[in-house]
Amino acid sequence: MSSLAKVLIANRGEIAVRVIRTCRKMGLRTVAVFSDADANSPHVRLADESYHLGPSNPLKSYLNLDRLAEAIEKTKADLVHPGYGFLAENAEFAKMVTRLGATWVGPPGDLMDKLASKTYSRKMAREAGIPIIPGTLEPISAHELEQVAHQIGFPMLIKPDRGGGGKGTKLIKSPEELTTEAFSSAAREAQYGFGRPDLYVERLLEKPRHIEVQVIADGSGNVYALGERECTIQRRYQKIIEEAPSPVISDRDRLHIYDLAKRYAGKIGYVNAGTVEMLRDSSGEFYFLEMNKRIQVEHPVTELTTGLDIVELQLRVALGEELPLKTDMKPVGHAIECRIYAEDPKTFMPSPGKITEFSAQQDGFTRLDHALEPGIIIPPYYDPLIAKAISYGDTREVSRIRMVEYLKNLRIEGVKTNIPFLTALLGSRNFIEGDFYTNWVNEVLENGGFNISS
Amino acid sequence: MAEVVAPIPGLVARVTVKEGDSVKPGDTVVVLNVMKTEVNVQSESPGVVKEIRVKEWDEVDIGTVLVVLDSKG
Repeated sequence: MSSLAKVLIANRGEIAVRVIRTCRKMGLRTVAVFSDADANSPHVRLADESYHLGPSNPLKSYLNLDRLAEAIEKTKADLVHPGYGFLAENAEFAKMVTRLGATWVGPPGDLMDKLASKTYSRKMAREAGIPIIPGTLEPISAHELEQVAHQIGFPMLIKPDRGGGGKGTKLIKSPEELTTEAFSSAAREAQYGFGRPDLYVERLLEKPRHIEVQVIADGSGNVYALGERECTIQRRYQKIIEEAPSPVISDRDRLHIYDLAKRYAGKIGYVNAGTVEMLRDSSGEFYFLEMNKRIQVEHPVTELTTGLDIVELQLRVALGEELPLKTDMKPVGHAIECRIYAEDPKTFMPSPGKITEFSAQQDGFTRLDHALEPGIIIPPYYDPLIAKAISYGDTREVSRIRMVEYLKNLRIEGVKTNIPFLTALLGSRNFIEGDFYTNWVNEVLENGGFNISS
Repeated sequence: MAEVVAPIPGLVARVTVKEGDSVKPGDTVVVLNVMKTEVNVQSESPGVVKEIRVKEWDEVDIGTVLVVLDSKG
């Protein structure tokens, strides 16, 4: 079926454009879906066919299962690629796609369902012999809190069992802060944000780094690691700059975490592309965090350092084809990704609006993933991520300098962007030396901020 | 009469006042969701909420009237 197969991309913006490009390369036909706000977006024009989902409000379009079911049926799509965000990790959507007779480009819905629980994921990691952050393996009740907390130690976090992005997470620094009120307010936020009040607790690691391993599993028992990514540069749990390889880990650590990631994927019977996220504490120990069950925003740094097209691998697995791989891959050279957000570089206030000017200088070493062109409107209804610049060099420093130069020549006018903030980060001593941890950007911003010239 | 208008386009995440409520300058009357970030829209003048023109998940543009205040209060 593969040469005539039709792929519906249940997403918008840069990732929809990026998935369509790989489909074309593979000779697959494409269907774009869109909301009112995106009627003139590049992804709609690039695709072979398009389907209007509904109003701009994402609940009525990109998150609307009924409308998506209609789109899949009416266009007779054979496969559905969810991209990232929106419904990419929604087990109901994955199951619906399968029920409609189409192929989900991702792991099976029932596995996604189970892995949505952090405590289940932690239990699986522990059974596979992978270190987990000290904490509970089951959701706990308010009256168990005190006893559990004293076993784990302070500082600790109360976290929603299903959730993410730091929402509903409560930091408990000392026994005095361990109140019933702290617990019940976290439970309310979990219920409101994620539909369930279940909470668990976990020790807070000292100045950790976020390092993750990309894996691909073909469904016949073969799992390959495709290198690691360092994603420690974050602001309020949002990644800003990612790179491959990690500038701090040794080759021995590298092979060790690839082994952990593959062991976890094998243990849970994972299929398709996924990412095992880990934290590395200040003493250099690695701990399992969770597995992301989708293509990630930062996948291009892996592509530039391995020469692979991860979307192509995803589609091959979904089509039941053999993977063009025989072994694990390690990053060669160094790639850095900067996420370009439509926001004020100093206040971080969102900045929707019309793009009046857009131009980028080709240097042969930097890739720009985007859905921009002069005249299009960046709507206020969706994520502020409008483009990703990914630079490559033989060394980290060459890659960094190329990125700084590239951003200097990148013109995006009409909306404010965080480019001056990215440039300041890239030029900071800590970034240059690779000396940072997940809360570093937040701490600098609380203490006077970066030296931003704009 | 004073109007509180949207300073930025977005979706109405929630209305935080009811008709008849008294508001002071700086009080949040509506929370907008702009690119997944919550932006508080505050009243610039004091008054009593006379009319609420939007509801949750409405799409609003810059200048859309959200709330009308009776400034006699």
